[in-house]
Amino acid sequence: MSIRRTTAALAVMAIILAACGPSGGGDGSGAAGDCHVGMAWATFQEERYGLRDLPGLEAALEAGGATLTDNDAANSAETQASNVEALLDAGIDVLILNSAEPESSLQSVEAAVDAGIPIIAYDRELESADALFMTHDNVGVGRMIAEAVTEAQPTGNYAIIKGQEGQTNPLFLRQGFEEVLAPLIEAGDITIPEGAEVYTDEWLPDNAQDNMETILTANDNDIQAVLAQNDGMAGGVIAALAAQGLDGEVAVGGQDGDKAAINRVALGTQVVSVLKDATELGMAAGEAALQLCENPDISAVEGAVESTTVGGIEGYAVLLDPLPITRDNLQAALDLDWLTEEELCADVPSGTVDECP
Amino acid sequence: MTATEPMKTATNRSRPLVEMRNIRVSFGGVHAVDDVSVDLHAGEVVGLVGGNGAGKSTLIRALSGAHPPDEGEIYIDGEKVSISSPQDARNLGIETIYQTLALADNVDAAANLFLGRELTTRLGSLDDDAMESATREVMGRLNPKFKNFKVPVASLSGGQRQSVAIARAVHFNARILIMDEPTAALGPAETEQVRDLVSQLKAQGIGIFLISHDIHDVFDLADRISVMHTGDLVGTVDKDKVTKDEVLAMIIIGKPPEQVSEKEMAQIIH
Amino acid sequence: MTTQAEPIEAPLASEPRGEPVRTSLLSTLGVDVRLVGMVVALAVLWIAFNFLSDGRFLTPRNLWNLSVQSSAVAVMTTGMVLIIVSRNIDLSIGSILGFTAMIVGLLQAEWIPDILGLPLNAPGTWIVVVVLGICVGALIGGLHGFVIAFIGVPSFVVTLGGLLIWRGAAFALASGRTIAPLDPTYQLLGGGPQGALGATLSWVVAGIAIVAFAIGLVLNRRRRRRYGFPVRPVWADVTIGIIGSLLVAVAVWIANAYPWPPNLAEEYAIENGIPIPPGGLIIPTGIAYPVLIAIGIAVLMTFIAKRRRFGRYVYSIGGNPEAAVLAGINTRRTIMKTFILMGALSSIAAVIITARLNASTLALGTGAELQVIAAAVIGGTSLAGGIGTIAGGVLGAVIMQSLSTGMTLIGVDNAQQDMVAGVVLIVAVGFDSWLRRRRV
Repeated sequence: MSIRRTTAALAVMAIILAACGPSGGGDGSGAAGDCHVGMAWATFQEERYGLRDLPGLEAALEAGGATLTDNDAANSAETQASNVEALLDAGIDVLILNSAEPESSLQSVEAAVDAGIPIIAYDRELESADALFMTHDNVGVGRMIAEAVTEAQPTGNYAIIKGQEGQTNPLFLRQGFEEVLAPLIEAGDITIPEGAEVYTDEWLPDNAQDNMETILTANDNDIQAVLAQNDGMAGGVIAALAAQGLDGEVAVGGQDGDKAAINRVALGTQVVSVLKDATELGMAAGEAALQLCENPDISAVEGAVESTTVGGIEGYAVLLDPLPITRDNLQAALDLDWLTEEELCADVPSGTVDECP
Repeated sequence: MTATEPMKTATNRSRPLVEMRNIRVSFGGVHAVDDVSVDLHAGEVVGLVGGNGAGKSTLIRALSGAHPPDEGEIYIDGEKVSISSPQDARNLGIETIYQTLALADNVDAAANLFLGRELTTRLGSLDDDAMESATREVMGRLNPKFKNFKVPVASLSGGQRQSVAIARAVHFNARILIMDEPTAALGPAETEQVRDLVSQLKAQGIGIFLISHDIHDVFDLADRISVMHTGDLVGTVDKDKVTKDEVLAMIIIGKPPEQVSEKEMAQIIH
Repeated sequence: MTTQAEPIEAPLASEPRGEPVRTSLLSTLGVDVRLVGMVVALAVLWIAFNFLSDGRFLTPRNLWNLSVQSSAVAVMTTGMVLIIVSRNIDLSIGSILGFTAMIVGLLQAEWIPDILGLPLNAPGTWIVVVVLGICVGALIGGLHGFVIAFIGVPSFVVTLGGLLIWRGAAFALASGRTIAPLDPTYQLLGGGPQGALGATLSWVVAGIAIVAFAIGLVLNRRRRRRYGFPVRPVWADVTIGIIGSLLVAVAVWIANAYPWPPNLAEEYAIENGIPIPPGGLIIPTGIAYPVLIAIGIAVLMTFIAKRRRFGRYVYSIGGNPEAAVLAGINTRRTIMKTFILMGALSSIAAVIITARLNASTLALGTGAELQVIAAAVIGGTSLAGGIGTIAGGVLGAVIMQSLSTGMTLIGVDNAQQDMVAGVVLIVAVGFDSWLRRRRV
């Protein structure tokens, strides 16, 4: 605890110094629309934040002539609370909050509201009408997986491999599946056999593999398509299918845009991997912040739609469209610099897809 | 183990088997054993007595390698030795029967008997049959009724466990045997067995340090008696030249017999 | 062998007094009552699942899958038994698994190809990868063991730290990327129809096992007679031999009764120019490599535990650490060795899992420590130390996996599966303590 406090205190000091530095010297030179954005990250432990989210955000703010002060809470709610305080003290105009723990972040939201500063809830929803929720549309991700798979395999028995039970994301994704599957199930085209819809402990690929093996055993291999809720588990499913010589014959969908998964799309063993481009999310948040500097009304932000939080609070959200990668648009992944051609084309026989000569 | 005295063989008869000189052991700031010197001859039993916390066990742990002394010297056959581990002590022919017995309760008698000195086959695997055979042989001598060779010693009776601990000390041809309260957990018949054993071993020329709180035991078995009191050696006396009451007085008052007043003596005898 | 050739049989049967004369069948056979109890419990479980799944559980295919699915946890459990017996715990094995999984993945997919310019499936790389992977695991285990044994930090703390450290290090190695695909030869270590012995070799293995078992029984008997020890009656040895041989034969027969999936058999036939008979080509799968690895390790670890000094020391440290020290055993070195073994076994599990999955992913091994500890405990390992067998631990792993596979097969929800596994754990340990109290 004490170490954490010390870290927090150091972080606060560093932020104050960093924030005072430029504003002390650069105040006079600022343009009329000078906009100071504060960003509180929950963590930098995952690759995406440093590699995609932050550069996207920086690019958008730079283009709009705004300055950015950001800090990292290392997944500690306590640290994040003091981080936000420091940002508010530094005189920011907009707060972007990637909450470490939505529940305890509400205090920070209140503090910002009291200071008259508009808030963007970045990628993690806050139970507050005052925060503009910006994220990729998770229900949409589910819908896109199901759309791509049903297009490839419009009939037959479907298995559904869900993530860890008790989390919200599997529910959103499942809801997206349902929107696509419901009419097809009703029409009798698609069936989900009993026991073929399972949760997966810890989202672990090897658990998904065990479960898929059991589902195949239970159904005498009579499974035509699998909707997996992420690419890791899709990999486990495909390994189970390969052991039965069914890889490439059964349509499998997943999400995350794992390089290995996009490679599998090129190989033809996976139909779709839906990717959520974090650079795009960072840019969108930067652009929204620029608008909020002009007009702090979150409902006026471009693309903001009315939405209801999980807890039932009416508010506003900007939902970005995820990008489904299928065999037809592999180039899109290359265009995003998501992966190299070499990574995309590993083991892919030449001539089977256009992107792999 | 450097030989400081070259005339070892010539002085063998007169020289004690074990000499512990000016031994001091401290725990924290407390001297558990303070400048104690005792000796032991071949074929002799020296009783080590004293109240709780007198330092008997600590002194003996210095000899058995369980807790090396902070100061002082140990001589075996007149040769100065350094005993810094139980292994060192065993290599010098010192075997110890601890009051706690120091048995691994979850393995059988043979495994305990050979613990740390297992017999192995040419390929380095444990030779359990050879160990069981040796165990049956030594137990046959010590406790002929013992039959439970294949069960963990946890399921044996107190006397049986004791005989396993004794067998361990006897089997390896000890020259010096330390027995810490060997009869504490035993019934009368088993105690008698241990007494017979001590006499036998003594006759074989083994030197024995016998720690006991039972003054009768000590008087029956020991040739000399060293009395300790709060970490100090009160004195070492020939059994034949003292009475039990005198030894008792040494234990309780912590003074040699000649310094004990009649009044104090009367209190002891009440 | 006639009865008169066994002069010393009598004393065992006629214990003079004290304990009541034991004449139960099991004690005459001299087998571990608890182990037999577990086998019976497993059989009951399997029959119940078969009933509830309309006969899908006790099929060669499902049992074959079950054997492969159990192997990684079984491998780790053999090490965990020794760790727990010596009164320690290792919470870091899941993270060591995750870390070495990234190492073996990166080695074959990136490092070796980049540095040596070899393609992914160059012959022999898989051996280098496996050996290096095991070395890394052993090194990590050794590091933990050193801190625990020589610096004296409790194993719970050190390995809890290790759990965090190596999971983080696994992330740092590849920034959380999934490494796939892997070397096709390496993949065989994970099983699959090609990653199995086939019919003939499976029978050869069975034959060797049965002959070795029989020779072991005869030699044991002969040695005990030479020493003049009491021996089991001949019929008991023969019964044990027959039961053991039957179990091996039935297991191999089941493994062979699972044919290659038709698609793969057809592909194989076309590739090798074999005419496909009407009704399809039937290729028996046989024992899967990971299962063979797990069995081999279980036998080796049993040998180490029972027939090597190291094993004896581990058990005596667990029984009475002070006695072990007083007996002159280098307890620190012994403890350190158990952690080296555990690290190596975790990396073997990593090889099996990644080979089977055809990928190294960041999260592999998450929660494995709890599964493995649970398997060891269900298998009769006492958390107080001193008690536990390798065979019990392996059976525990099979029981855990049977529960999971069986419940998935009959469509039991994940959350309820966890609850059932928890109840089984508690019941197993409760039964154990009851059994022990009754005996003492």
